[in-house]
Amino acid sequence: MDSENLKVKSTRRRELPPLPQTSRGRTLPSLASQDTVDEVPRSRRKKAKKDPDGTEDMEDTGMEMGGVASRRQSVSQTPLTPEPQEVPAARKKKKKKQQTLDLEGDQAGLVNGDAADAAEQTTDAEEAPRKSRKKKKPKVVETPYVNDLDVEEDDIISDAQSPIPQHSLFSAPTGQSQPVGKMFVEHGRRFQAADRIDKRMASDQLDTNFMDIQSMWTTRDVSLKVHSGYRVIGLFAHGFLAGYAAWNVIVIYVLSGEQFSTLNNLLQQYHSLAYPSQSLLYLLLALSTVSAFDRLNLAKATIAMRSLLMLEPAALASLLYFAALVLTLSQQMTSDRINLYPSSNSTLWPPGSEHTTLYPWIGVNLAVTLMVGLAWALISTGPETDYTEEFLLSMEVEYPKPPQKADMPV
Amino acid sequence: MLQTNNYSLVLLIQLALLTYDLFVNSFSELLRAAPVVQLVLFIIQDIAILFNVIIILLMMFNTYVFQVGLVSLLLERFRALLMLSALYLTLSICLHCWVMNLRWMESNRFVWTDGLQVLFVFQRLAAVLYYYFYKRTTEYLGDPRLYEDSPWLRDAFARARQ
Repeated sequence: MDSENLKVKSTRRRELPPLPQTSRGRTLPSLASQDTVDEVPRSRRKKAKKDPDGTEDMEDTGMEMGGVASRRQSVSQTPLTPEPQEVPAARKKKKKKQQTLDLEGDQAGLVNGDAADAAEQTTDAEEAPRKSRKKKKPKVVETPYVNDLDVEEDDIISDAQSPIPQHSLFSAPTGQSQPVGKMFVEHGRRFQAADRIDKRMASDQLDTNFMDIQSMWTTRDVSLKVHSGYRVIGLFAHGFLAGYAAWNVIVIYVLSGEQFSTLNNLLQQYHSLAYPSQSLLYLLLALSTVSAFDRLNLAKATIAMRSLLMLEPAALASLLYFAALVLTLSQQMTSDRINLYPSSNSTLWPPGSEHTTLYPWIGVNLAVTLMVGLAWALISTGPETDYTEEFLLSMEVEYPKPPQKADMPV
Repeated sequence: MLQTNNYSLVLLIQLALLTYDLFVNSFSELLRAAPVVQLVLFIIQDIAILFNVIIILLMMFNTYVFQVGLVSLLLERFRALLMLSALYLTLSICLHCWVMNLRWMESNRFVWTDGLQVLFVFQRLAAVLYYYFYKRTTEYLGDPRLYEDSPWLRDAFARARQ
């Protein structure tokens, strides 16, 4: 038996090609592992069916990294050393025969070998072969000229206990990498083979979806729309307030007569208008002030003060509107007094007190009108100035540029 | 990520509450014929301010920036609004209580004193500032950067850590 074995080995040494063949080189480790005799022919038959294509193996989804490395190398080497298709069938058959002989020899070697080794193998029959198969594959790939299977068997048993350095599993191939039809994507803790074309299509689809999302109506757009809507209301309020204040003060001056000689006439005619006018003034002033503040960065006091000191129109308009608002509000009591003129004439308006109450009120109304008019003029010099809108426009997500689609190192 | 529809709806509610607030502040004095009407208006106004504050706080809690713990970044931006809202709510409740207390028996009488006038002026001024800051904040909260991870947020985080 030993002599036969040696014979086979010697012939095999002679017949091995200088470079490991694609499918044969890969199948060797699995054959060399301590599978049961029944399993080996089955796996061999399987391989014999699948290997000519060289692609069916790839679809093994539960592939480990070692297997991946070995396959990659085998596939990548295929174009470098193209196997002549016209290998004689007789040679193939011969090889098959030799491998079966090899296997038998191996099994025989196992039976006849060291007793301790055999015992160890029988006890670890379930675990050791799997471990060794996992870790052996890359090793076999890295040393393509290893063909002495007896030596390999010994190594496997001893290596099962000693850890293989991890870098050997993941070491980058020295040769130039060739594009592979598959790419290996990590799912959970396993790398699974997937078609590169599918992945590329999926990523393209993702890109298009991404573009769709970007082109959609976003919250920023809603904010901008609301703000531009309010800006229209604000611009209307500025003009309307200026016009209304001017009309109000003209009416007051007309009703009070020359040198304020007919103040009683003013009270009688204007008392029904005083409170609605006050309310409307507050409403318009509130809208205008908010609109003016939008043109100024009021939230940052230093910037607001700086722009005010630099006499920027928006800052001045804001200040004028705010001052007008304070003045208007301060006249609330007087307005109510005018409003109640007919009902409580004697208590609220003792004879001769009209001048002392109404002079400041008319003066304040005039001041408010001037302020509002000036503010409107200032706003109209730069109607496009809008700090809030600038900020709203700036709030855009800067998406990082997607990395260049380089071939992923497998 | 904040949905545009949700944001639009929330923004609409907030602006409706603000509009109601402005309307009551402007014309409540004209609607004082029946004290009950004014009382109801004031109660709804105060609840509206409270609702607005709650909504803005919920919107802030909903931001990615808040969820990753960069509360200081939000506070830096919106501190003025939160403080002003609290001030405005306090002033409003005080003024409403005072005015209703004076006018409950006879609504159409002259109730103004210097103190009431001062409180009135401050409440109305705070209202205008509140409108400005609230509107600005609701618009700023539509910032997509606040709802997802981005280089801007990473920069802000790096600055906050320094």
